[in-house]
Amino acid sequence: MTHTQDKSAAFGLGVVIFIYLAVLTALEFFVAVTFEAISILVVIALVKAALVMYYYMHIYQLNAENEGDENSYAFKTGTNRFGLWLFLLSDAFVFGGLLVMRFNLLAMTRPHLNQTLGLIVTAVLLISSFFMNRGETAMAHGDRKGFLRNTAITFVLGFIFLIGVVFVEWRLAAEEGLVASFGNTSVGPQGAVFYMMTGMHAFHVFTGLIFLALVWNNARKGSFSAERHWGVEAATIYWHFVDLVWIFFYPALYLIGKLS
Amino acid sequence: MKRFFSIPLVRGLVWFVVGLLAGAAIVTGIRAVMGLELFGTRGFTEPAWVFGGFVATLSFLAGHGVMSDWFKVWRGEEVSEHHEDPEGWLKYLGPSLDHKVIGIQYTITALLLLVVGGVFALIFRTELAFEGMQFLSMDQYNTLMSLHGMVMIVSILLGIAGLMNYLVPLLIGAQDMAFPRLNAFSYWIAVPAAILLLMSMPLGGVETGWTGYPPLSASLNKLGQQMFFLGVFVAGWSSILGGLNLIVTVVRMRAKGMVAFRMPIFAWASIATSLISLTATQLIGLSFQLVMFQRLFGMGFFDPAKGGNPVLFQHLFWFYSHPAVYVFILPGLGIISELLPVFARKPLFGYRWIAMSSLGIALVGFLVWAHHMFTSGMNEYLRVPFMYSTLLVAVPTGVKFFSWVGTIWRGKLQTSTPMLFVLGGIVVFLMGGLSGPPNATVSTDLHLHDTYWIVGHFHDTMFGGFVFPFFAALYFWFPKATGRRMNEKLGQLHFWLMTPSFFVLTLGMMRIGLLGMRRRIADYDPALGFEMSHIVLTIAAFLIALSVLIFLINLVQSIRNGEVATGNVWNSRSPEWQVPSPMPAHNYDQPFEVVGEPYDYGLAGSKYVEFIASAKSKH
Repeated sequence: MTHTQDKSAAFGLGVVIFIYLAVLTALEFFVAVTFEAISILVVIALVKAALVMYYYMHIYQLNAENEGDENSYAFKTGTNRFGLWLFLLSDAFVFGGLLVMRFNLLAMTRPHLNQTLGLIVTAVLLISSFFMNRGETAMAHGDRKGFLRNTAITFVLGFIFLIGVVFVEWRLAAEEGLVASFGNTSVGPQGAVFYMMTGMHAFHVFTGLIFLALVWNNARKGSFSAERHWGVEAATIYWHFVDLVWIFFYPALYLIGKLS
Repeated sequence: MKRFFSIPLVRGLVWFVVGLLAGAAIVTGIRAVMGLELFGTRGFTEPAWVFGGFVATLSFLAGHGVMSDWFKVWRGEEVSEHHEDPEGWLKYLGPSLDHKVIGIQYTITALLLLVVGGVFALIFRTELAFEGMQFLSMDQYNTLMSLHGMVMIVSILLGIAGLMNYLVPLLIGAQDMAFPRLNAFSYWIAVPAAILLLMSMPLGGVETGWTGYPPLSASLNKLGQQMFFLGVFVAGWSSILGGLNLIVTVVRMRAKGMVAFRMPIFAWASIATSLISLTATQLIGLSFQLVMFQRLFGMGFFDPAKGGNPVLFQHLFWFYSHPAVYVFILPGLGIISELLPVFARKPLFGYRWIAMSSLGIALVGFLVWAHHMFTSGMNEYLRVPFMYSTLLVAVPTGVKFFSWVGTIWRGKLQTSTPMLFVLGGIVVFLMGGLSGPPNATVSTDLHLHDTYWIVGHFHDTMFGGFVFPFFAALYFWFPKATGRRMNEKLGQLHFWLMTPSFFVLTLGMMRIGLLGMRRRIADYDPALGFEMSHIVLTIAAFLIALSVLIFLINLVQSIRNGEVATGNVWNSRSPEWQVPSPMPAHNYDQPFEVVGEPYDYGLAGSKYVEFIASAKSKH
């Protein structure tokens, strides 16, 4: 297999996985608005998470043999990769704690949110993950221009997501009266739960955007190559992790449960 | 003067103040635009202080210089892996990347906080000696009692981090930790954390106990409460990142031939500890963060009036704070297992079992948190499962005791100071262990829960699991770090003064607890007749403090004037003792290979490590 074929195969796999994810997201939405089967939503979220972790975050690389000297770039990348995954494991406990909080406080009700808007921001984040995957694949094959282009698209989509959540969604939710729950008791702790979960996630999107900008800038200066691009890989894994969290937060906030 | 301000720690502190004022000013400015109140009772308003404290932490780290390499990497510049440290003691105030320097920084800071927390305890202990309030107000008592708890917890976290940082790379034959810069960062973030925590005192105090339960902690109109939460939140990051670094180091950086079951027990214990601090710490951070937001923005997570649930806080909080006690004790128990064979001159009994028991305690520890909540009004059906899971902890802990007894059995015990502290640790931890099951059992805990019995039990576990082994480790590895020995006579005096006083203290606490003395209260009913007991407890507490003072004098004296000891002082098999002390800057000049079992003391012809003399030099 030639180098170009290898690269187009990798791009092709990214497309296929994206289609799976898109179909599953649509199915999730359909299931939620029609017959509210929570178990199906949970299964779909787990399948989506597995796809992202395997094909976009390449979790299997943790198992890769890192032959060579302890000071070689490959060995150090293996060490860095292990450290990053441990950090994500740690971070996952924050989001897990937030999910526990959501189901403890709201049980099987969900906040008054615009489900269509939720689907739109979810789609934006998912598409950004797709372009992130293309960017990393390009860099892994030494295509710097491709990386810069795709990462720029990812950045823009991530920024749209952030604006969509903080400046559109939060404002709409406020108009629905969720903010009022800070001060009045009529809608229970819905507002607190909603703003905390989306806020913590938005904070991670924000740090992810900074990370992408730094990596983009360094790639522009030529700091990375096909063999040496740990920074790119780290930013990619982190960005997909932010998407991974949303795979669980989206159904937990927008789909699961009855309107109170 | 200019030289003084070029010391990184001083620069960091200056930036801390600048950041505090800048952050507070920003929030005050925003409040001015929004037309809100600008100033509170303590100068700035509460949100301004909190944001200021947060900015102060970041600007401390940036100004101190521990993040300089990262800033360079972000700008795309190359940075070198090896930094040269300044000569002498100045390197301990700067962002050194050497794990040995960082280990000593951690240890010194831990000892400083131990003194601070100990002084707090002495003050309120003296207040308790006589019924009625003598020289403290109720608020001051509560603040001292709460901060004694949290300052000691941070001290212990830094203490174990110090031991693990200094020892683990040496024990496994690594040149340094896996991420040296992250390592320095983990230490230096603990400094602003400690400052924030102590700032809660002048800013109104903390009145909730170290647990900070809402609704009280959310409704008290006290700024100190917020600084307390913020300080703990920041300290949590030190623990999380330190744990991460340690796991990666042990997994990736071991010497040739060091397969899993030839690792030193202390490495196993460190892994078990780090797994907890890496993951569970996030939940105390989250729970404190939620209370902070409840105070700042009125989000009603734990406010029943707004549909929140105070018991949810307790679940999130104890999901960390119970496993946290295993974070505190597992390294100490590892030290005991590490040192016993050296001084008994016998192989460690049941090596594999004891290696696995650390992981066993860590994993079971994740499933027991709600035993702190038997009296909290949580769902009753949760009580029995949590009772059984808690009692299950006794199994891996029992394995450790069997191993220790088996190791001591027919050994030729040498009772120099480290060994005394090891033996003392075993006995004290046994008392802590035996007084545990009554608290784990629902029916008895309902009576014991709010009494001094719990205080006695807890201090037994902490002293047996951390303080005694910590002192043992300091006496044992002091020659490795300095090339000198600590004074043996003062060491013996330290032990023989501390141990009996400690027994009087905790057994006395348990006794009056069973008789009905409640914990956490500033005063007690004279009709209970506890005054004499409290006077005895206070005297015992001061004797313990005196013994620690002797230790500190010994420590400082021995750094300069101790007996020179550059060889294998304790006749240990461990690799770090096979090279002269003090340890050179980049650890082993020649790498070593593990060729045998680690603890085969007294077996003829057995060998643990062999240095590779090849010309291939160190990488």
